[in-house]
Amino acid sequence: TTIMAVEFDGGVVIGADSRTTTGAYIANRVTDKLTPVHDRIFCCRSGSAADTQAVADAVAYQLAFHSVELEEPPRVRTAARLFQQSCYRYREELSAGIIPPQPPCAPQVYVVPMGGLLLRQPFAVGGSGSSYIYGFLDATFQPGMSRSQCQEFVARALALAMVRDGSSGGVIRLAAITEEGVE
Amino acid sequence: RARSPMVTGTSVLGLRFSGGVLLAADTVGSYGSLARFRGISRLLKVNDSTVLGASGDLADFQHLRQLLEQMVIDEELLGDGHSYSPRALHSWLTRVLYNRRSKINPLWNTVLIAGVYGGESFLGYVDMLGVAYEAPSLATGFGAYLAQPLLRAELERDRDRDRLPTREEARELLERCLRVLYYRDARSFNRYEVATVTEKGVELEGPLTLEANWDIAHLV
Repeated sequence: TTIMAVEFDGGVVIGADSRTTTGAYIANRVTDKLTPVHDRIFCCRSGSAADTQAVADAVAYQLAFHSVELEEPPRVRTAARLFQQSCYRYREELSAGIIPPQPPCAPQVYVVPMGGLLLRQPFAVGGSGSSYIYGFLDATFQPGMSRSQCQEFVARALALAMVRDGSSGGVIRLAAITEEGVE
Repeated sequence: RARSPMVTGTSVLGLRFSGGVLLAADTVGSYGSLARFRGISRLLKVNDSTVLGASGDLADFQHLRQLLEQMVIDEELLGDGHSYSPRALHSWLTRVLYNRRSKINPLWNTVLIAGVYGGESFLGYVDMLGVAYEAPSLATGFGAYLAQPLLRAELERDRDRDRLPTREEARELLERCLRVLYYRDARSFNRYEVATVTEKGVELEGPLTLEANWDIAHLV
């Protein structure tokens, strides 16, 4: 898996590959790893598919409940924190790396790697394929990119990772999340 | 239970000087050998008299941070003018870490606590086993092997003259140690933070960058 999220002024661009493997067999070559947990809050999942789907479902439920109580859309940080709480508490049992990016109000990207640490970053990568592109990302990333620059940046990075990583491949799924909606 | 750390921080250094204490740590969170997160703060200001520096698992450090922040809030709510002393926090942390280890579910951290309280400076160490002690100079991780001898040598020299280093001397010494660690610790980074605690309170500086000298490469 290779997953990625980048903030830009006005929203967030998220992307992922589409390969799920059981050992060396590609169980699903058209997977959607970009999972909505709320209207404008997505998460990118890497690690055990079962674990991340379970956590994402649990967080989606918690967020839906929370936003009904709040009578407004939940905050970015809240969603990220909910992911972190599950990932940290069950760190022994889980193999999950999550990147929840979301903008209501201000675009934010958080990353929850294995172990359950919660960090906010201008951009984040995860998954086995991410190892191969750290150099590319360090050399190419610039803060303050536009939406289309971000989309190109994410697509290029994912493509490079998918070529080199056997556990990543298939198609690139890209999404841009803004005030107006998810595209 | 009894698991391996994931995202980790390397050495934390601590040194008492005349008038207070210094703590220093680099700003990287390593994912095994990968320097994955390069802008993490491992120094935490607990209250106006205490700083804490953590190495080891950073998710556990975040958990500790939440516990501590809540403790400090609860204490302020009491409104009796008292705040936790560095020594009290050190004692509390020792109990927490020891009890977790006794349940075979440790918080995988080694922590330095530095502070000034009642005119006295304090520097203490607690690790994931609940081992705790105080000393005028301390270091965790690689620092224990590479930096501690340098720190102790300096303190020896000063003890002969019956004094502690000055703030500037201590600061320079810590930076020298950080440089040595950057040269020799494969999990270190050249960006770091320093916390200074004096009677006046806590000062957190950073992120600062270390300059490395590679001239000796020409000699080979």
